[in-house]
Amino acid sequence: MALLADDALRRVDTAVGNRLMEQRVNFGQVDITVSPENLVEVVTALRDLQFLSCKFFTFLTGIDRSELTDEPGGLEVLIHLYSVEHVFHVNVRVAVDPENPVCPSIVSIFRGAEWQERECHEMFGVEFEGNSNLSNLFLPEDFEGHPLLRSFKLPSRFVKAWPGAKDPEEASAGGR
Amino acid sequence: MATTEDRVVDASEVAAEVSRGNLLTEEMVLNVGPQHPATHGVFRLLATLDGEVLVKADPVIGYMHRGYEKLVEARDYRQITNLVSRMDWLSGINNELPLALALETLMEIEVPPRAQYMRVAMCEMNRILNHLMFFASFGAELGAITPTFYAFREREDIQMAMEMTTGGRMHFGFFRPGGLKEDAPKGFYQQALKGVRQVIERLPDYENLLIGNEIFKQRTVNVGILPRDVAYSYGVSGPIARGSDISFDVRKDEPYSGYDLFDFDVQSAPNGDCFDRFWVLLHEVVESAKIVEQAIEGMPDGPIMGKVPRVVQAPKGEVYVRTENPLGELGMYLVSDGDRRPYRLKIRTPSYSNVSALPYVLKNTYVSDMIAILGSFFFVLGDIDR
Amino acid sequence: MPEIILTTWQILLVKVAVILVVVPMGALVGGYAEHKVMAHLQHRLGPMYPGGFHGWATTLADGIKFLFKEDIIPAAADRKVFSLAPAAIMVPIIMVYLVIPMDRTLVVEDLDVGIFYLLAISSVSTIGILMAGWSSANKYALIGALRSAAQLIAYELPIVLSAAAVAMLAGTLSLNGIVEAQNFPFVLWPPGIGLALFLVFTTGAVAEMTRVPFDMPVAESEIITGPFTEYTGMRYIFSHMFAEMGHMVAFGGIGTTLFLGGYRPIIPWEPLELIPGVVWFAAKTMLMIFLFLWIRPTFPRVREDQLQKFAWKFLIPVSLALILFTGAWVLYV
Repeated sequence: MALLADDALRRVDTAVGNRLMEQRVNFGQVDITVSPENLVEVVTALRDLQFLSCKFFTFLTGIDRSELTDEPGGLEVLIHLYSVEHVFHVNVRVAVDPENPVCPSIVSIFRGAEWQERECHEMFGVEFEGNSNLSNLFLPEDFEGHPLLRSFKLPSRFVKAWPGAKDPEEASAGGR
Repeated sequence: MATTEDRVVDASEVAAEVSRGNLLTEEMVLNVGPQHPATHGVFRLLATLDGEVLVKADPVIGYMHRGYEKLVEARDYRQITNLVSRMDWLSGINNELPLALALETLMEIEVPPRAQYMRVAMCEMNRILNHLMFFASFGAELGAITPTFYAFREREDIQMAMEMTTGGRMHFGFFRPGGLKEDAPKGFYQQALKGVRQVIERLPDYENLLIGNEIFKQRTVNVGILPRDVAYSYGVSGPIARGSDISFDVRKDEPYSGYDLFDFDVQSAPNGDCFDRFWVLLHEVVESAKIVEQAIEGMPDGPIMGKVPRVVQAPKGEVYVRTENPLGELGMYLVSDGDRRPYRLKIRTPSYSNVSALPYVLKNTYVSDMIAILGSFFFVLGDIDR
Repeated sequence: MPEIILTTWQILLVKVAVILVVVPMGALVGGYAEHKVMAHLQHRLGPMYPGGFHGWATTLADGIKFLFKEDIIPAAADRKVFSLAPAAIMVPIIMVYLVIPMDRTLVVEDLDVGIFYLLAISSVSTIGILMAGWSSANKYALIGALRSAAQLIAYELPIVLSAAAVAMLAGTLSLNGIVEAQNFPFVLWPPGIGLALFLVFTTGAVAEMTRVPFDMPVAESEIITGPFTEYTGMRYIFSHMFAEMGHMVAFGGIGTTLFLGGYRPIIPWEPLELIPGVVWFAAKTMLMIFLFLWIRPTFPRVREDQLQKFAWKFLIPVSLALILFTGAWVLYV
């Protein structure tokens, strides 16, 4: 049955609390931050420990926090796991240095990470150590740049601003 | 004739090998796609063949990558609804739901019960449409051309119901944060019930046409087995996972939009082969039909839109919301900066994770089995490539 | 009316000319029948517009359309073999029609070794398919051609063996003789054995024509059109459409001759003899063709290795056993 998020957080804390940099409950889901060195250990514990059993690999992605209005941050790799048995979610965040984005790979723990890390690599430029196949997944081979970084502007938006009305008020007042 | 290596073999060498009892063979790399009748879109599979056996399969995706996650960063929440329904185009309205739910969670809007029931009815009708479409295409790939026509005939009535409400047959643009765009028109309930009841009535015939067929069983039983732990490890969800002795369903585990008020079962099958996945698909249609009936017969009166501010602006925060798309778990991780546009929207699509399990399942199968497995994996390219 | 006396050679020429008209006609009608029968089985109408009344001119319009298509030969293809392959497929099928009797005297040539000639000639088109697939410089075509070769060789045997059993029952290899020996059609008498032989023959025939459920070589959703993928325009029509339809009508005719009593009425009842033999032959052939057409939309495709297993481990032993039973019947009954 579904675990209350606080119970889940307690379980995670018992298991790997000493390795976490931050831990909290966010909208009913456990949210933890780890440093890259501890990532593989924490994820393995989350998967293998019986009372956690986060066996389902939901996704792995990156978030570029450099343009947030309060607390701008750096680059972050976000791994989302789910426990089928105990029904709770864990968001694992890894802070990665934007100048030299390196993160250990969790391919050996979750097979699905192979493609997701490839995508994260081509979109954010993060190097995953341990994933031998980091070729482009979606983008063509000769694509330059990492599109999902905030510094990569969408050309059409950059050159020409959105011509339509930005507010319902503007639209009714005659803006397009 | 192109071969894998440019090795010119002398006739005497071949003769020597044959006289020793060995057959000189070479592996051939066959490019399945991107244009191929059996791959549901621009999907490319680099298959290394040894005769008729697939030694290695390497999917190449990205032919339809439209850069959704970057596009939504430059758009209003109101504009994203229409963009997002073009991902899994066979289940149009189910794509809009997680976005609406994510905004409602962040903005703490309460959705009125009538809107919830309508949302459930439309999502389930779309599930039936999606599953019937895959029923048609799976049969066609195996050579049974007739189920296609029957399935499309059934889809017609349900699509008429969707069209009279939303104006579209494939892309709807109907859900808004807080509720729906407009209320159901006159005649919607009758049309929806008619379509759904027809499906329930005719489904046993279609089942017999394929599931009862000896040739079909030979082609799909014990073909393309996906073990349970491998499915978890790849993140496979939806009817494909439920064919591998897994019985999770977001609608039951973490109900959203009032699903806990409806009575339905989660279908699952033990073996994990193509036959089981297909069996789960067909039986989910019946469950969805039951839900639609319950939703329409128990539809409460009331408003269809909650209290939503004029300008849809999500407060700062992050949330992950997931729903049960017909093909699996569709989730949206929304990072909001307090603006009218999302700061970062990660769309977790089911087909992407499902298809990443293909190299594992396709090892050491025949070419014809590859077609059956690709068909039984029920993926939509828009979902994979976003 | 002045008497027209023709030499044997001139008569032969006229007969061959008739055949060369009859075969395309048969293919056209067969193609139209396929569209319509399949459509009605799938709860739809099929072609309705070409020609006005229920689209009777569909295949004719198709043929004319293909005349206008560009003839493309892939750059890497072997031109001579590529161009010869459609002929190698089409000609043996036309030659099969030379011995099928449509009435007592309506046959081009009543060979004493009718059955033998028929079975030998029809297996030559296998080489044509291999030529088409190999010379196309296309991996899909190659896969299709190799599957085709294996399948056609495997399924020749049930046809040959069941035809041999029929020859035993009739006591002659000549097709006219076989029809004359059928007071009751062979499918009904000897009871049981005749029906079993007919079923074996039909299964083998469906596989020989690479039709569903045995259409692995031409599996549309897998390898597009198999050996004929690179063929366009008239070459495509000759090697694929004409060949398949012509083959279907030919096998319909052969099945009628061997098992359903050919141009003779179903039972030896006096009043039925008034209906001309051609009508009987046509009706029975159309029944056989309808059977072939019916099977297509109903079944999915059998996988290649299962197909081979079915032929070698089931059909051939069964047909050998049936020959034994037929022999016993002929000797003791």
